[in-house]
Amino acid sequence: MPRVGKRHSRGSLILLLPFVVSMSLHVDTALGQQEQSQIVYNRDVRPILSENCFSCHGFDHATREAGLRLDTREGAIATLESGTVGIAPGRPDESELVLRILSNEDGVQMPPHESGKSLTKKQKDILQQWIADGAEYQKHWAFIAPKKTEPPTSGFVDSTSVDPIDAFVHARLKLAGLSPLPIADPVTLIRRVCLDVTGLPPAVSEVDKFVKACAVDSEAAYQQLVNRLLESPAYGERWGRWWLDQARYADSNGYSVDAPRSIWKYRDWVINALNEDQPFDQFTIEQLAGDLLPNSTVSQQVATGFHRNTQINQEGGIDPEQYRIDSIFDRVATTGTVWLGLSVGCAQCHDHKFDPILHKEYYQFFAFFNNQDEPSLTVYEPGIDANALKKEQKQLESSIRKHIDESMEQLQAWEAGLSKEAVKQLPSGVQKSLSVEAKKRNTSQLIELFAVEVGKADQKFQKQQARLSEIGRLLASGVSTLVMKERAEPRKTTIFIKGDFTRPDEEVTSGTPSVLPALRTSNANPTRLDLAHWIVAKDNPLTARVIVNRVWQQYFGRGLVETENDFGLQGSSPSHPELLDWLAVNFVENGWSLKALHRQILTSQTYRQDSRERDDVKAKDPGNYLLARQRRLRLDAEIVRDVALSASGLLSSKMGGAPVFPPIPEGVMGQGQVKRRWNVSTGEDRYRRGLYTFVYRATPPPSLNVFDAPDGLSSCTRRNRSNTPLQALTLLNDANFFEFATALAKIIENDGIETAFQRCTSRQPNADELSVLAEMTPLNAARVLLNLDETYTRE
Amino acid sequence: MNHQQQLQQRLFQQQQLQQGTRRHFFRDCGVGVGAMALGDLLNGQNSAQAAHPLNDPRAPKSTPLPAKAKRVIYLFMAGGPSQLDMFDHKPMLTELNGKPMPQSYLEGKRFAFMGSSHRTNLLGTRRKFAQYGDSGAWVSDLLPHTSGIVDKLTFLHTCKTDLFNHAPAKIFMNTGTGQFGRPSLGSWLTYGLGSECDNLPGFVVLQSGPRGPRGGAVLWGSGMLPTTYQGVPLRNQGEPILNLTTPAGVSDSQQVEVLDAIKQLNAQRLQHTGDEEISTRINAYEMAYQMQSSAPELMDTSGETPETLAMYGIKDPNESSFARNCLLARRLVERGVRFIQLYHTNWDHHGGNTENLETHLPQICGDIDNPCAGLIRDLEQRGLLEDTIVVWGGEFGRTPMGEVRESTGRNHHIDAFTMWFAGGGFKPGISYGETDEFGFGPVGDSVHVRDIHATLLHQLGLDHERLTVRSQGLDFRLTGVLPARVVHEVVS
Repeated sequence: MPRVGKRHSRGSLILLLPFVVSMSLHVDTALGQQEQSQIVYNRDVRPILSENCFSCHGFDHATREAGLRLDTREGAIATLESGTVGIAPGRPDESELVLRILSNEDGVQMPPHESGKSLTKKQKDILQQWIADGAEYQKHWAFIAPKKTEPPTSGFVDSTSVDPIDAFVHARLKLAGLSPLPIADPVTLIRRVCLDVTGLPPAVSEVDKFVKACAVDSEAAYQQLVNRLLESPAYGERWGRWWLDQARYADSNGYSVDAPRSIWKYRDWVINALNEDQPFDQFTIEQLAGDLLPNSTVSQQVATGFHRNTQINQEGGIDPEQYRIDSIFDRVATTGTVWLGLSVGCAQCHDHKFDPILHKEYYQFFAFFNNQDEPSLTVYEPGIDANALKKEQKQLESSIRKHIDESMEQLQAWEAGLSKEAVKQLPSGVQKSLSVEAKKRNTSQLIELFAVEVGKADQKFQKQQARLSEIGRLLASGVSTLVMKERAEPRKTTIFIKGDFTRPDEEVTSGTPSVLPALRTSNANPTRLDLAHWIVAKDNPLTARVIVNRVWQQYFGRGLVETENDFGLQGSSPSHPELLDWLAVNFVENGWSLKALHRQILTSQTYRQDSRERDDVKAKDPGNYLLARQRRLRLDAEIVRDVALSASGLLSSKMGGAPVFPPIPEGVMGQGQVKRRWNVSTGEDRYRRGLYTFVYRATPPPSLNVFDAPDGLSSCTRRNRSNTPLQALTLLNDANFFEFATALAKIIENDGIETAFQRCTSRQPNADELSVLAEMTPLNAARVLLNLDETYTRE
Repeated sequence: MNHQQQLQQRLFQQQQLQQGTRRHFFRDCGVGVGAMALGDLLNGQNSAQAAHPLNDPRAPKSTPLPAKAKRVIYLFMAGGPSQLDMFDHKPMLTELNGKPMPQSYLEGKRFAFMGSSHRTNLLGTRRKFAQYGDSGAWVSDLLPHTSGIVDKLTFLHTCKTDLFNHAPAKIFMNTGTGQFGRPSLGSWLTYGLGSECDNLPGFVVLQSGPRGPRGGAVLWGSGMLPTTYQGVPLRNQGEPILNLTTPAGVSDSQQVEVLDAIKQLNAQRLQHTGDEEISTRINAYEMAYQMQSSAPELMDTSGETPETLAMYGIKDPNESSFARNCLLARRLVERGVRFIQLYHTNWDHHGGNTENLETHLPQICGDIDNPCAGLIRDLEQRGLLEDTIVVWGGEFGRTPMGEVRESTGRNHHIDAFTMWFAGGGFKPGISYGETDEFGFGPVGDSVHVRDIHATLLHQLGLDHERLTVRSQGLDFRLTGVLPARVVHEVVS
């Protein structure tokens, strides 16, 4: 920090609006906060330094100003070229940092005026106090392995029976002077848990049954319900889509040409793996490195489709290497975001500004993914052994050929006897084979000709030929899917200067960032398999936390760490750090069972409580960070469709298979660079769940897109929940929804408006609602029901 | 700041944001749906609930800087127009026609279709250039109408981009990066400024030419911003906005009955739950209904005078064309739409038998010349040019070196190309930036895409360094982290 000159704001990252105003009063009264006698670096100091200082005085040596780094104690207390010291532990008055943050003088003041950042008085006080206390640093919380602490007993609920989640949440609420809302009524509850676990609303009969069971023993009824839902195949579909968002799954190649691709076997693999509750560590290993497992199965190879969901550029004139490199950049960023919750991608062009990830370490990570070929694999139904069939096919063909060759005279005689008119009567395939010069005919052409007349009564030939077509049919039943395959000879990996692939620098080998526990392997060139094992190693402090947080986010609309894809220094701190750690450790102790994790969350009172606003909660914790209540959440795009299909009785329960083409508005497929076909599916495929709809990345289906379905262009770890007029137009006027309404109108005619209302919202209408709907024609009433906010919201 | 304070600060920020994005529901909503006003439905709520106005993320926002312009019409010439045959007059190029480009210019450069069709011999233009207006701007004979308005335009001759393939370069011009999935300029503007129109989207896209622009819908995507801010394509055929039309067999009165009931039931649920998202939804239905009449009304140009149509060179007002889209752009501007982007294809004149400089460049110049000039004149005469910025340009320009295929053409060129701007505080009648004798590179300052973005935002009252959105742990902005400057020389 020199006293004069030098610009400080280069590349600085600035908040949208100057919100940094003094919050002290508001905070203290609102959350009933504890007296903080001791300043703690991770909780109190690091957020201030990270937000305001690190972009110029942090980890990235290239942009470090005045030689000062504040992200390590060593750097902060070192004597600078100017002879001053950034931080003098115990002596705030001698610390340049204190001088600078207290100054109002242009060129001296820190953060500099042009950065748009400023410190509040409270923040300045904290920094001074911390320096006075000795300026002790701590490792960033997320880089320290989680520890399981005993759930507190200070909450509201009877401490003998308390659920661990509730124990942590209630203790925190008590501190803020809040009490949790009561458990939601049975109807709301069953609808919520059905939508959350399976993505489908409960049937009217299920609701009635549950309400009755609750009257007897609500706890037992609920536990039973949760268990039933977790065993339902629809669980794999709903949570499969959660994972597919992160895997950036879609059915086309992306970029401007955006040709269709076949990779739905991977989608089905995800659904099956979740339904079987494959342990998450194994789930991870198979997707990242299934091809490298010893004697890898077809299923394990299909799993490697995870990283084949990158885009492929088929535009003319491009440099293919550039886009191969881009796909690896994407794989690095996605792996970092999905499993580690780290913005590794930021180190693509330079040392990470905030997290301790070096530019070089980025390319060491890159090297794991720079070493595979990207082929297709043909997958057959169980019981079809393609290799054996191909062998048999070969044998049969040569046997038949021999037989035909022996009967060649008969064949020639038959051919010679054909008149021109007779030839014209033959099937076109046969005519084509006849047009080939006799000597040049291949086996299949000969078989075709032989079958017409000469072989008709030849039983051996008939039998063989039947088997041959059968084999052909079986082999054609294979489905192609994109997979990874490690190369025998590793590619050379270098650092790219500024991330530019035309500017290679120093060569590197694969490795993991040094801030995290070391990679243990005997491999000189560690592979993706080593990386996968490292990601799910017991001592990796990030993976389990990141995953439990992302599951939590689905249930509460927000993670315990709000920045669900950034557990680094710029991310937000957990709202309930001990709870997060408890869940993470417990998850691993339970053998990485996702279903056990779901059960843990679903059976807590915190999950089950009412979502309605309450005045005291609204006043003290308007964002509901402390979880005094549940939250109303608009359903995901695919589930909006599923709910409407289900309410109108049209939903197909068929699972898996090739993606389908429900009707879409005219002209949509012409909006890309290449006009794509969209042959509307017929039969039950017209009414499949939303996750089976074919998604072109460049021209996504509008009714999904408008409800914030992810674009498949990069990993999506949290969806937006927008609320727009175009959504209203879709629900009102889209041909699909109108068709659903027509079907629901029939239900109104047959079973009455109450039933239809229940099919949409799970509850009975009240008298006011009934009076509005009773006046209307069945179709109009059905359209109203399929447009209600409540129909597409879980409460 | 300790953890709880941080938490609390976030809460506070969120509240501020929400308050900043609220607008009064009934503002400008002249025609409420049906007979029942929402105010009636809200009656009887306790005062705390009633005091909450309805949320709308599109509500107009005040700008941090003084704004010279309120809106933008962006005429995107998709494919990369040849500046050397239109605006950048290079007699030396004609003189040395057919001679090789001096090697010193080429070292270290990369081009599309490297190693295949790329040629390095210079290609002089066959066009006649002359100076026009008081400003003396050079324009070729391909643009007789544009040459008449040069004193209203600001030419930038040294525009520079980073990417030389169509789709990535178009995405770059729109989002400041070649990566798919970032917010586009129009999304940033509606996010930063809100919309001044209650019955049409804030960001509208119009298309003309033989095919859609390469890159597709990503070009007007909202990236990590909410989808509220993504561009809405107005379609030339069928309904102008997807699902705009009431389903067949449903009468308007039935639609109103349905909408009334939806509103009534949603309002009841709002009262029951206290969830303000429901009020946003009620508001969205109101606007959806209004769009059902406002969008067709927008597209209906039968009220335009023959003089106006002639000004744009529109022969048949019902035929979709770039000219008609220019007229629609003016109508959108009149209705308060923030960002209107017109794509016209195909400017990719490599020299093939369907895309050459001899036949196809003159044709496409004929498509756009009169309409562009008409748009500027029409905006001016209606007093709209003052606070509307008009941008003209492609994703890149074309090389001074010729490509000879079936006929002549030019390759993609990213180091120096021409764009023009008008209105919204851009200084009229000036040219900025000079290229070398071949038009290959800049002599002196370049204007990078990031500088163009920074300048546009500046004119609209936004600071490109402060307009950010947080995602993946970073504050993203349109101009990214590399240097960008407002080109003060060309704006007032």
